Amino acid sequence: MSAKQKVDTRVTVETPEGVDFQFMIAGPGKRGMSFFIDAIIKVGFGVLAFLVFAFASGVSGSVSGVAGGAMLFIWFLMSWLYGSCFEAFWHGQTPGKKSQNLRVVRTNGTPIGWFEAFGRNLLLVPDGMLVLGPIALNTVGLASMAATSRMQRLGDLVFDTMVIDETREFISRTPGIIHGIERIPRAHCVGRFHVPERTLAVIERLFEGDRLISAGRREEIARTLAVPLKKHLGYDDGGPDAANPNAYFVRTPTQHTDFLKRILKTFAEDSAGTDEQSVKVDVKAVLEESRRTTMNAVLARRAEANRVAGEPSDNVALEDSTVADEFESLEFVEEVDESTNGGHPEDWRSKL
Amino acid sequence: MNRERFIRQRRSDWQQFEGLLNRMKGHRLSRWSGRDITRLSQLYRSICYDLSLVQSREWGARLEQYLNDLVAQGHNCLYRSPPRSLDTALSFLSDGFPALLRRRKNFFFVALALFLIPFLAAMVTAAIDPVLAERLVDQEHLEQAASSYENELYKDVDSKYAEERTMMTGFYVWNNVGIAFRCFALGAFFGIGTVVTLLFNGLTLGTVTGYLIYKGCTDNFFSFAISHGSFELTAIVIAGAAGLLLGWGMIHPGEHSRVQSLRIHGVEAVKLAAGAGFMLVVAALIEGYFSPMAIPHAVKYAVGTMLWGVVYVYLMYGGRGGVDVAMSLVDRAGTGKATANRQPAAVSVVESSV
Repeated sequence: MSAKQKVDTRVTVETPEGVDFQFMIAGPGKRGMSFFIDAIIKVGFGVLAFLVFAFASGVSGSVSGVAGGAMLFIWFLMSWLYGSCFEAFWHGQTPGKKSQNLRVVRTNGTPIGWFEAFGRNLLLVPDGMLVLGPIALNTVGLASMAATSRMQRLGDLVFDTMVIDETREFISRTPGIIHGIERIPRAHCVGRFHVPERTLAVIERLFEGDRLISAGRREEIARTLAVPLKKHLGYDDGGPDAANPNAYFVRTPTQHTDFLKRILKTFAEDSAGTDEQSVKVDVKAVLEESRRTTMNAVLARRAEANRVAGEPSDNVALEDSTVADEFESLEFVEEVDESTNGGHPEDWRSKL
Repeated sequence: MNRERFIRQRRSDWQQFEGLLNRMKGHRLSRWSGRDITRLSQLYRSICYDLSLVQSREWGARLEQYLNDLVAQGHNCLYRSPPRSLDTALSFLSDGFPALLRRRKNFFFVALALFLIPFLAAMVTAAIDPVLAERLVDQEHLEQAASSYENELYKDVDSKYAEERTMMTGFYVWNNVGIAFRCFALGAFFGIGTVVTLLFNGLTLGTVTGYLIYKGCTDNFFSFAISHGSFELTAIVIAGAAGLLLGWGMIHPGEHSRVQSLRIHGVEAVKLAAGAGFMLVVAALIEGYFSPMAIPHAVKYAVGTMLWGVVYVYLMYGGRGGVDVAMSLVDRAGTGKATANRQPAAVSVVESSV
């Protein structure tokens, strides 16, 4: 990872399962916002406590000492233990962080412990310092964040923590992008009628909704993909129709983009109702069949073993269920009805 | 496997995983059922596999990110820090903290020197020549200190006492613990901030003490300060030691890389600071309610000396396991039940003193 130049703020963490996954590091903007919200809560709570105690002493006339003591104690808790306690007991979040979807974790992705939470909040003192001047402008912390790849302030560096952004963004293909697009007929291609998955993925990225690309630029990019693809497929669009050449030339400014859309329509979209469906049913039947035979064989073997061991045969009935459990994993996953799961983020197909 | 078929086949698992995660996040750890945990970890592992498959085949950024989010959430759900209990905190205060301090005693002694030398120097100077004292500390402050120790603080334990002392206890917690924490945290500037804080506090306190000696309020002042001074002064020095440790981790990484060294020293340092904070809260309670009591000074000196002894025993013997050995001997002698709620002596002594 270190060799690659990074353009975003993701950090890769390897799980014990050996899989790399990524966290998004939170930048100074969101962290500043959460800091601000926390500060308001702290001060607000302090002022509220003050008002309550002031009111109480006003009513009874003589509680002022106790009230003042409690007030100072609350102020102590707010200024030194607010962040630590929330982060320690609330899985790395304070109310401010929660509002911004931020979370403090260790740099290996695991949640932070007591001492890390406590320590990184104590180090807000040096982090909050402006190098020259009396007002806390977090200059030290900001400088430290700018200098480190995980945007860690001093408190994060010392205690090996980072602040991650848990906002989940669903990048999805602009809905309806291949609506009304025709498939590429098999007959128009003389080459191999197949587009590799990776190429399809690249094309999909070109149409992702979060990309700000003008139609002209997209056409330019599409050209570099479309020309070799046409060659690969041996596709020939036949040129302008002699009867109505206008329709052909109207399309010219977006011809490559359109072609890629047709590729998506043809190869990326699930071809329901084609011969693939029938193959699938066969697979299901075959799997079911093989499962049954294997299960029978296992059952027979166990029954045999039990008979040899001289155990009562009604044990087999008990075994039945465990064997069935073992074969649970073999069971063919039922096809999910696309129309019923509306909220699924990956289910962009339903929007098409 | 085709991408479409892959999604279709695995989606039910992903949805189940999401549902399970949402359900389990709402509950506390102790209320998770065994079956849910088993299912969750099964699904988690299979989704890890899905993610690596999608990554290696480059099946699109969206799918990858979706699975990445699932894995991240599952990871955060399954790999938690161990559950924390009051027991851990208590055993840290009774055993871990003194043991750690003894292991890092060099830092304690350096911090002690940084505090004590200017303290003694300023005290002697101010006691001999109060004009010099006024150069170090505001005259107003000195006068105020002198006037407050000219007479006994209180004649009686009454409601006025309770009120004012509660107020002052709150103030001591807020002020002193704040000073200690700041003293530690400023160690992040290569220890310089800590050194300055220690020197400054030593000078100021020494000057005020010297001035009070000059004014002749010695008895009133020392009988007041001796009791809580045991915990308070020791804790300030310990907080200084924590700051120095943190700075040392930056200056002298030794065999580690600088970042590693910072982490190792940082965790130890914050533990010392936490222990110092605890001691200062104890000190604030003593200072708030016991120190100014209207009782004979001899009693205060006796109790104060005893408290210094308590601090010494706590820091020297806490976490050595000597108590356990003694208890096991008692056990062997016949009382078998004692093991159940055995508690290190230091904590019970400290608690009883509070």
